[in-house]
Amino acid sequence: MSRPLTGLSAWLVQRLSAIYMALFTIAAVVLFTVTPIDDYGDWQALWGRPVVSAATALFFVALLLHSWVGIRDVILDYVGWSTGLRLTLLALVGAWLLILGFWILEILLTVVSPWN
Amino acid sequence: MQFRIYRYNPETDREPYMQSYTLDRVENGMMLRDALLVIKAEQDSTLTFRHSCGEGVCGSDGMNINGTNKLACTTRLSELKEPVEVRPLPGQPVIRDLVVDLTQFFRHYRAVRPYLTAKSPEPEVERLQTPEEREQLDGLYECILCACCSTACPSYWWNPEKFRGPAALLQSARFLADSRDEDTDRRLDELEGPYKLFRCHTIQNCTSVCPKGLNPSRAIGDIRKLMLRRNL
Repeated sequence: MSRPLTGLSAWLVQRLSAIYMALFTIAAVVLFTVTPIDDYGDWQALWGRPVVSAATALFFVALLLHSWVGIRDVILDYVGWSTGLRLTLLALVGAWLLILGFWILEILLTVVSPWN
Repeated sequence: MQFRIYRYNPETDREPYMQSYTLDRVENGMMLRDALLVIKAEQDSTLTFRHSCGEGVCGSDGMNINGTNKLACTTRLSELKEPVEVRPLPGQPVIRDLVVDLTQFFRHYRAVRPYLTAKSPEPEVERLQTPEEREQLDGLYECILCACCSTACPSYWWNPEKFRGPAALLQSARFLADSRDEDTDRRLDELEGPYKLFRCHTIQNCTSVCPKGLNPSRAIGDIRKLMLRRNL
């Protein structure tokens, strides 16, 4: 995960993901304001719309990438004195974000699933 | 006027300490460098610091004055709060008192190859620039390598061996901006990766302390823009 996402690409991904998350947050607030949600059916219908679920999936991809670059930056800054500890922390953070990614995917698939 | 000055002689002192001095005769317009010279001449000849031109051109007397990196020769005593605390530039190995070892700082400077590289055949006349092309170097060429910026940069404190630091990156920007230089791709390639350029988090300590009023933070941003344009 760290090899291709380094230097300029990491810097760019962090900025683009921040812009996307800001725009998504504004759009989500507007959507929740204008769309009346009275029960779980309405809620499920909202997330079942392909545009909403795809945009939400992309939001979480952006969030995970943004988190990875940000936490990686903190580790590179503050754990420069120990290569072993730095790599261990990077691996743990990477693994944790991957687990979160699969968990989010599972939730999103459950919501949009026609059998639910 | 009261001074507290960092003292450390690795040959005799187990650890650094702050020594107090009092200067009774403070003249109008006196700079900190002048005060240090009087203290050295009249009170303590062992006090050690670098200085040379005395007018903010050579960059020798960069030091931490009341918590901010400045040049002693361009810092008026009248603008300093007492007691004036004078320490060496932060984060660097101390050779003695206010003299620090800047080997690493100059290693980074050399690493950005601070000279013009042209591959095209040498013309019969000089490699000329238009006034507009020359203007691109303003705000970059004036750096005197005093190290005030790099040693004020937290990213440089955290990764002094890998992060080039604002001074070296400003020099890199200066040659990237030069219309006569023909080595842009290699210069940008050399700055890729997580450390050399991208440890900069735009904290801007460099810009706030530069005694020449330069803006290394903007220069680093310009390098990023060049990289981006090249990759898009």
